[in-house]
Amino acid sequence: MSTINFAAREINCKIVYYGPGVAGKTVNLKYVFSKVPEELRGEMVSLETEDERTLFFDFMPLELGSVQGFKTRFHLYTVPGQVFYNASRKLILRGVDGIVFVADSAPERLRANAESMRNLRENLAEHGIDVNTIPIVLQINKRDLPGALPVDIIRSVIDPQRKMPVIEAEAINGKGVFESLKLASKLVLDRLAKTA
Amino acid sequence: MIEPTLALYGDAYDKVDRHLEELLKNTGVRYCLLVDRKGFVLSHKEAIWAPDPPALDSVATLVASNAAATSALANMLGEHTFSEQIHQGENGTLYVESVGAESLLTLIFDSTVPLGRVKVQTKKTIAEVAAILEALKDAPAVEFDEDFSKGASALLDDLLG
Repeated sequence: MSTINFAAREINCKIVYYGPGVAGKTVNLKYVFSKVPEELRGEMVSLETEDERTLFFDFMPLELGSVQGFKTRFHLYTVPGQVFYNASRKLILRGVDGIVFVADSAPERLRANAESMRNLRENLAEHGIDVNTIPIVLQINKRDLPGALPVDIIRSVIDPQRKMPVIEAEAINGKGVFESLKLASKLVLDRLAKTA
Repeated sequence: MIEPTLALYGDAYDKVDRHLEELLKNTGVRYCLLVDRKGFVLSHKEAIWAPDPPALDSVATLVASNAAATSALANMLGEHTFSEQIHQGENGTLYVESVGAESLLTLIFDSTVPLGRVKVQTKKTIAEVAAILEALKDAPAVEFDEDFSKGASALLDDLLG
């Protein structure tokens, strides 16, 4: 589903940060924005509510460079995590190539994590995408929280079959942010090479 | 399987380019962009008298998202689609119209350009561009080999550590 523009020699891939509300999706994107060289990233667009919750999405284009003569670019999106914004989440998944699922380590958010993954599976299915065929990286965020749940417990709820690669993160400090993006990007590009 | 939603090959790209150039001349609009429904710019033209261009990636993303939201609204209201969107400000107008199922033609212009003329000329261009894009659907898929993955991995290492 990557958009390949032969004439302009461009490959464009779409990566979406998904997960429950306040899990840290926007924090991930803001960290990437603050750390990558200015010439490789476009402007960050945030459509948010007055209390800075994501209303529609956050967006940032990121230039990787040229691979075999193709300028390769990622468009990074976050979705609104709050349950009632499902229509927006569904729209943003259109044409997605890879996903970073940001889970919250707080004990009281375990159910929200599970609910969000269920919602992701449903929304992907509505776009005709099988959750098992699209690259998904499971980022378990907020590991620095006092009382953070063990990774195994969170994983057993979100990904009981242990199919998704896991990265532990403290997005607020940048820990695990680049690792998650790098892994998701690599899986997307590997898949492009294998299936083209 | 990952497939391109739209692939513009050399000749087709040139033809689309010429149609956009012509549209620019015939209407006097400031910018003209062809974007796909995912928000990627396929082709763009700007008038030479235009000021610094806006961030085209952001424009394309917001146009595509807006079109998707508008389409969802249309379905809720029992319509198949709302094929065009017009946003008028004090000084400028953004006009977006669907080109088939995969892309959107976006025009940005100031208040000196009559909307009626833009609409008429755009419809002509859309018919021509839609036919070019339709013919591209039978084009063969591009192939990337293992070296592509290696090259991409090396770039990711450089950028993200």
